[in-house]
Amino acid sequence: MMNEILQILIPVAHAAEAQAAEAANSSVTALFGLDWKLFIAQLFNFAIVLIVLWRWVFKPLGAKLEQRTAKIEKSIKEAQEIQDQLKQVEQYRKAEMEKIRGEATEIVAKAQKTAEMNKDQIIAEAKKSAEKVLEQSKKELASEKEKLLIEVREEAATLVVAATEKILREKLDSKRDVELIKESLKGLR
Amino acid sequence: MLALPPLAAEPIFNIGSFTVTNTYINSTLTVFLFIVVGFLIQRSVKDVPRGIQNFFESIIETLLGYFDQVTGDRKKSLKFLPLVGSLFLFILISNWLGILPGIGSIGINKVVHGELEFIPLFRPANTDLNLTLAMAISGVVLSHIIGVFTIGFFKYFNKFIKLSDVWHAFKSKKVMVIFTAFIEFMVGFLEIISEAAKMVSLSLRLFGNIFAGEVLLTVLASIVAYVIPLPFLALELLVGLIQATVFSLLVLTYITVATLPVHGHGDSHGKAKAAH
Repeated sequence: MMNEILQILIPVAHAAEAQAAEAANSSVTALFGLDWKLFIAQLFNFAIVLIVLWRWVFKPLGAKLEQRTAKIEKSIKEAQEIQDQLKQVEQYRKAEMEKIRGEATEIVAKAQKTAEMNKDQIIAEAKKSAEKVLEQSKKELASEKEKLLIEVREEAATLVVAATEKILREKLDSKRDVELIKESLKGLR
Repeated sequence: MLALPPLAAEPIFNIGSFTVTNTYINSTLTVFLFIVVGFLIQRSVKDVPRGIQNFFESIIETLLGYFDQVTGDRKKSLKFLPLVGSLFLFILISNWLGILPGIGSIGINKVVHGELEFIPLFRPANTDLNLTLAMAISGVVLSHIIGVFTIGFFKYFNKFIKLSDVWHAFKSKKVMVIFTAFIEFMVGFLEIISEAAKMVSLSLRLFGNIFAGEVLLTVLASIVAYVIPLPFLALELLVGLIQATVFSLLVLTYITVATLPVHGHGDSHGKAKAAH
């Protein structure tokens, strides 16, 4: 096996030796086949590749990639902004609602308070006026009674005087007259 | 006798005094592929991506993700994307095209140096130092141009020939500061040498890896034609991707370092060295 491999490798070694001998005999430029005409031609080939790839591939595709990146970044930013705005609006709405609710309860409380106050006032006024009316009527009643009493007294007095006159006219004895007066005065007291 | 692919690309035919090599045929095919795909894409760029546009957009997104790790800034990544992305795609596609059946096996018999030799019509484009060197030099040179345009000529110039640093050091009249400035001045020269080293290392790394893969596949295929080369083919797919990534990310690092503001240059040394 080993022998066979060596047998195979012998021509390789020979070929390498031949090449090495050739290499030893020539200069470096000749050995590598360096030649200014070929060099220029290869440079030209590379230049064509460079220009073609530059103009037709890297420039347009690079620009497109950048554009797309910018576009996506812009979209994401805009979406973020919209979200932020939405949040702000929501917050504003909540705050407004809170404010409105507060105001509403305030108004209701105020109204209740006012109503309470009004009620008390009305009741107080009603009481007052009722008392007034009562007082007035009491007063009136009292004065009426007084008047009535005076009138009655006057009436009684005249009556007594008239009766007395009558009795006197019917020739009453003095004894009887005094008795009568006394009696009638007693009845008046 | 087994013929290993030579380091140099083999000439196929001549157009006037210009020799068309098999690697040049491959790289030109790749260019045509890119022209066709590019044309299809630019014709149908839409807001809502479909099909091929979607596919390429996902590639660009992935690339930009990796670029961001190097540049640390999406704007910078987008600015450097055309150059670095082109390098990546061109290297990747020409590497993968090189694994297709027929590349390296379809060929003509031609008399070279008085011997009849089999010359493959197609050979992976990056097994030609001309191409890898062309890409490395354009990458490094463009990184300097971008650097000059970003931070200004004099500031950029001062990264390498640190005359203003020396001038400021002499103005401060402190021995230690002058000594440090002198060392920094020498380091500036080393930077210049390292710029050349960048081109050499970039081009040779790519060339070496792809060429070694091609040799490996040739040898394996000549020993056992069936099944055994399969895992190595899969490995070559991976190597193609890795080399494309390494090449393009290194160029991206060079550009990023070149566009750093001057005050951060102490930091940029570390980054550049870590990348090597």
